[in-house]
Amino acid sequence: MATRIAARMATRMAVWKLLRSRVPAGGAGSARREARTNCRPRSLFGTLLLAALSSSLLLFPLGCAKPENTTPVAAQTIQLGSDLAPDQVLNRHLETDPRTLDPSLSEDVVGQIVLEDLFEGLTTVAMDGSVVPGVATSWETSADGKIWTFHLRKDARWSNGEPVTADDFVYAWRREVDPATASEYSQALAPIENATEIADGKMPVEKLGAQSMGPQTLIVHLHAPTPYLLALVGNNYLYPLYAPAVKQWGDAWTQPAHMVSNGPFVLSDRVLNGHITLLKNSHYWDAVHVRLSRVNYVVVEDSTAAMNQYLAGDLDFTDRLPAPEKDRLQQMLGSQVVLSPYFSTAMFSFNVAKQPFVNNPKLRVALSAALDRDVLVKYVMRGIGVPAYDLMPPLMGYDPVIPDWAKMTADARHAYARSLYQQAGYSDSHPLETVLTYPSGGPEQRRFMEALAAMWQINLGAKVQIYNVEWKVFLQAKQQKQPLLYWDAWSGDFPDPFTFFQLFQTGNGQNSGDYRNVQYDSLIDQASNESDAAKRFQLFRQAESILNQDAPTIPVYFWENARLVKPYVKGWQPNVMDRIMSRYIYILAHQES
Amino acid sequence: MIRYTFARLAGAIPTLLIIITLSFLLLHAAPGGPFDAQKQIPPAIKANIERMYHLDEPLYQQYARYLWSILHGDFGPSYQYRDTTVNEIIRQGFPIDALIGGFALLGALLIGLPIGMIAALRRNTNWDYLPMGLSMIGISIPVFVVAPILILVFAVNLHWLPAGGWVGISPSHIILPALALAAPYVAYVARLMRGSMVEVLNSPYILMARAKGVPEPFVVLRHALKPALMPLVSFLGPAAAGIITGSIVIETIFGLPGIGRAFVGGALNRDYTLVLGVTILYGALIVLFNLLADIGYSLLDPRVRYQ
Repeated sequence: MATRIAARMATRMAVWKLLRSRVPAGGAGSARREARTNCRPRSLFGTLLLAALSSSLLLFPLGCAKPENTTPVAAQTIQLGSDLAPDQVLNRHLETDPRTLDPSLSEDVVGQIVLEDLFEGLTTVAMDGSVVPGVATSWETSADGKIWTFHLRKDARWSNGEPVTADDFVYAWRREVDPATASEYSQALAPIENATEIADGKMPVEKLGAQSMGPQTLIVHLHAPTPYLLALVGNNYLYPLYAPAVKQWGDAWTQPAHMVSNGPFVLSDRVLNGHITLLKNSHYWDAVHVRLSRVNYVVVEDSTAAMNQYLAGDLDFTDRLPAPEKDRLQQMLGSQVVLSPYFSTAMFSFNVAKQPFVNNPKLRVALSAALDRDVLVKYVMRGIGVPAYDLMPPLMGYDPVIPDWAKMTADARHAYARSLYQQAGYSDSHPLETVLTYPSGGPEQRRFMEALAAMWQINLGAKVQIYNVEWKVFLQAKQQKQPLLYWDAWSGDFPDPFTFFQLFQTGNGQNSGDYRNVQYDSLIDQASNESDAAKRFQLFRQAESILNQDAPTIPVYFWENARLVKPYVKGWQPNVMDRIMSRYIYILAHQES
Repeated sequence: MIRYTFARLAGAIPTLLIIITLSFLLLHAAPGGPFDAQKQIPPAIKANIERMYHLDEPLYQQYARYLWSILHGDFGPSYQYRDTTVNEIIRQGFPIDALIGGFALLGALLIGLPIGMIAALRRNTNWDYLPMGLSMIGISIPVFVVAPILILVFAVNLHWLPAGGWVGISPSHIILPALALAAPYVAYVARLMRGSMVEVLNSPYILMARAKGVPEPFVVLRHALKPALMPLVSFLGPAAAGIITGSIVIETIFGLPGIGRAFVGGALNRDYTLVLGVTILYGALIVLFNLLADIGYSLLDPRVRYQ
């Protein structure tokens, strides 16, 4: 299926920002350390001048803070009550402006965050990220797992009071795959019968395998048993749509004055690159449990700017923080700095159809084993992230297959990597010379790439040049399968191993390194047709061990989101896919001084 | 004068046409297209999208189609923001840039002019040295340093003003960005004013006025000010355009929904129509402000006559 990360990158290189925010800014970071060690009382002017001279965006604490005895700045003294605050308003940070608020067209993470508050699919997620009933209250499947029947709740309402019916789903899904809609995400519906054929223009939309049997019953026909279907139908591209609004207003139906939605909130105001304001939807079936009266999403791309707005009290919940500031923020704010898993993997993939990597798993494993991931995560990324030795990020119930070398001590691992490197025919007199291509983004990820190259140089003697190109240039080069070794990343759409393992199937759109393994392909296909969860995961494990041996990619770390959250924002918790719905959030009474 | 203005405006049309053509070609020549994403779209779906935006047509046809729609005042749909048109983006973002830029320019004049005049009148005293020294700092410190310092002091530490964001026309949200944007211009204005004022005050007709016993404030305000403003006017034309079009950094640091951020995002994402639309707007602004500066000359100096 598709990725959420992809969308982020497409719009604003947000993933790079993500990485960037996790890799310290070289000069700036060290400048600050220096300023701290030479700590003397300074005049305001001196501080300003120093800040100016450092020519960085980093903010200095005014005066001179001793690391061991930091007094929090006034903004952070928050007295917490135990009752609800009278004003249930949440000021929430969005990293970029959603490309669209049309659920059928939206494909970025920021869009998903807002749409989850505005709409509701057949299923939705609970606070802990688990799939729970949404518009559907119950469902059953046929014996072969290919026909699903969803029963819709009778009290589901649109924001204008009209009932939500099975036809609203059929309308939305047909619109999604209709070539005239030109949705970039229509391939996400591929498990549904005829969806791909319709998107390709070979069949009329009426042939889509989704039918209504009365207002409260929806029948879905699938190509294959799709065990992750319940998670899939909770995604924004499978939300119902209110046909009269879409038909009447066309593209403009997503404007605040025209939008009709069925979720916990309604759209009240939107300023592009400014803010998106939502108000509580009184027609929502579970409105009694929605405590926030207003959610104000504020679009701030720059993570330092977002941090400042948080510190100034303008934001309650940020999506990101500048990594070089993490230690200082943690000292100052303590538990207001929260790390959440993100269900995504950062990796470096090989073009296995090109020399020197073709038919050379030994060299590929050597390059992978030579990296000290714990060092990268701890020192280069400031501890935001989890070292990754396999493709699949942590997922409840799935036991990942870790390569043996990952369990060795650093010295033993380096020796092992070196021996493989030599077996592959390389030595100090004949070192590997290759190029690592990555999309540009700033000095911070350059430092990350430099650290990689240094590790390969020191631990193997390999000479890897790092080469950066603009994002769109990178994408084109990757599509044309030019880079030998390139930055790669993936974020799962639904909590299932398939979303990651499909990447290395022969012919998959993401498989730009041209990895081909018949056995691997057939294991993934078998897993796709297997409805027994335990057997299915076992097949994925077998596939993963093949991937570890062949090493078409070097997984380096699993992403984490580091955010700032005011202590009075309750009713949320980090969860596997970082889906945090405003619907569960409430604000405790508090006093800021 | 009116004929001159019309001639200049007509002369702007070929300039804009060249800007449009070059930008159009450069954008399309840049590698990667608006709908290339990390997640590769199946070819059939990508074809659907390209057909919808006429990107499957030959380039000359797209160019003609684009020119035709500009003539009708339609800058087309944004590729990046699918349910938004470029007209909407500009309509929403430009007033914010104009407001912040306008206040910054006004502030720069209100602060810079008196400082420059006082420095010229009290030449080679501390009234001259101190502001001129400080103005060097104002010119040399980039805005991306000034802005965070302002935020740190006034928003994070003192809590007097918000650290950014936009909630409609609200003075508290305008002060900091306008101040940060104005800082270097205050310095420029003050230095220019001082320089030209010194020159004018040394001219024979001022000596003559003083010799006749005209009171000093009258000498300065009535006789010296108007000619001393001339270099400033020639500076203000491009500066006004620059202050409105050049607030991209300010927009990013303060999280303002202006068109600068959309412009940069559009360029990175190959949003052809958005980038072209903003380029045309910026080009038109620069032409317009330069024209205004030229008209300003003739109003200030009767010797300047345009045919």
